[in-house]
Amino acid sequence: MTTSKKIVLLGHFGVGKSSLIRRFVENTFSENYKVTIGVHIFKKVVEVSNSDSISLIIWDLEGQDDIKKTRSSYLLGTNGFIYVFDLSRPITFENLNSELEFLKENFPNIPVKVVGNKMDLVTKLYLKDYSEVFGHLVDFFTSAKTGSRVDNLFSKLAKELL
Amino acid sequence: MNQEERLNIIKDILLTDEREFAASIQKKIKVLENTVNEKDQLSEKISPIIDEKLSEFVKEIPNSLGPTITEALKEEIKNSQDAVVEALFPILGKMVKRCVQHEMKLLSEKINTQLNNTFSFKRFFRSKRSKNKGVNDADLIIQKQSSPKIEQIIFIEKGSGLVLAVYSKEKATDEDMVAGMLTAIKSFIEDAFKKEEQDLQYIEYDHYHIHLQNLSSYYIAVIVSGAYNVLYKDKLEDKLLEFASKIIKPEILKNKEILTKKIKVYFNNDNI
Ligand SMILES: Nc1nc2c(ncn2[C@@H]2O[C@H](COP(=O)(O)OP(=O)(O)OP(=O)(O)O)[C@@H](O)[C@H]2O)c(=O)[nH]1
Ligand SMILES: [Mg+2]
Repeated sequence: MTTSKKIVLLGHFGVGKSSLIRRFVENTFSENYKVTIGVHIFKKVVEVSNSDSISLIIWDLEGQDDIKKTRSSYLLGTNGFIYVFDLSRPITFENLNSELEFLKENFPNIPVKVVGNKMDLVTKLYLKDYSEVFGHLVDFFTSAKTGSRVDNLFSKLAKELL
Repeated sequence: MNQEERLNIIKDILLTDEREFAASIQKKIKVLENTVNEKDQLSEKISPIIDEKLSEFVKEIPNSLGPTITEALKEEIKNSQDAVVEALFPILGKMVKRCVQHEMKLLSEKINTQLNNTFSFKRFFRSKRSKNKGVNDADLIIQKQSSPKIEQIIFIEKGSGLVLAVYSKEKATDEDMVAGMLTAIKSFIEDAFKKEEQDLQYIEYDHYHIHLQNLSSYYIAVIVSGAYNVLYKDKLEDKLLEFASKIIKPEILKNKEILTKKIKVYFNNDNI
């Protein structure tokens, strides 16, 4: 049995939403920054068990520096959110708390995975320094560039959606 | 001392100063003259050299700077391929459309004159048919050549854009992606125009017509190839609404298999 689920990626401009999806769906990465305009739709079927697979319909939205600016109709009927920020740019996680609060309020019971991306650009020491800001909120530290933890992120979310 | 000698002496005495003065002036004039001449001579000599160098330089640009410029342009275009496509697409689209429209008009005119020239029983029957249908002969003929064909019917959940069921002749496009994209476009347009009561009803894509039938919790996208027109639209709409009211029940919407079966049976016949 295959069921379909809608996943939406959110976060500031250029944090690597499209890159994470590309890494997951096509296993590619590019240093080139191509801004997403509007929405791109991707799809990947993930095997969750021997008999069950899940078809992830992934909505790659354009970045917003404020989650409230996101076109609300894009968020309708979402089964799971991935909130991405850029570990190397503090401005992208400054308001992490309130951004996540917004999701909790408007989409209660919908799972949210919080992702600190571009892990390859920062040091352990740097992470330690900032751990007070986001440490307790982050579910995955990923790198779309190296591919580190990207599959884990999507398959963990997929399993929760069944 | 003769007379002349004396005269000379007197001249000397009287005119020495002036003559020296005149001589010095003459000298200065000569120098000036020379400089002017020399400059002319110089520029006469130099100008062609400069001109030559300049034209050589201009000639050399494509060779020396050319590759750099071309490379930069290429890189720029490569990096913003989407932007280039985006910029070109509407223009190309318009050109193609205009061209096709023109050709269609020509074709239509041609057929009309043909019909006027050759009266036949066939034409008589067709005219009767077209009168009943309210379209002109030429339109009818063209339409027959590419009668509308349902390529795919997708039942899509509003909001999420997830596919509830799909029926298609040949597995061509990925319905999940199409449904997602259609939903995103629909949301965007309906949001942008802020007309809450109004739904997007129709999209043209490539040579496909996408008819969108909006219902409460879901909508139906019918992808049609061939000549989609008002008549066809009306019939399609009737058929979809009939299906929705007669067949669709909440529990059927939740069951992909049953819904797919029902659609197949209902829409099997192309000529709605
Ligand atoms: N070093 C490094 N660079 C990354 C990583 N992920 C993305 N990038 C780079 O960051 C830039 C932006 O990536 P995108 O994936 O386009 O970002 P986005 O979040 O989709 O941006 P918007 O569509 O504008 O919201 C690109 O130049 C990527 O190459 C990563 O894990 N490591
Ligand atoms: Mg993007």
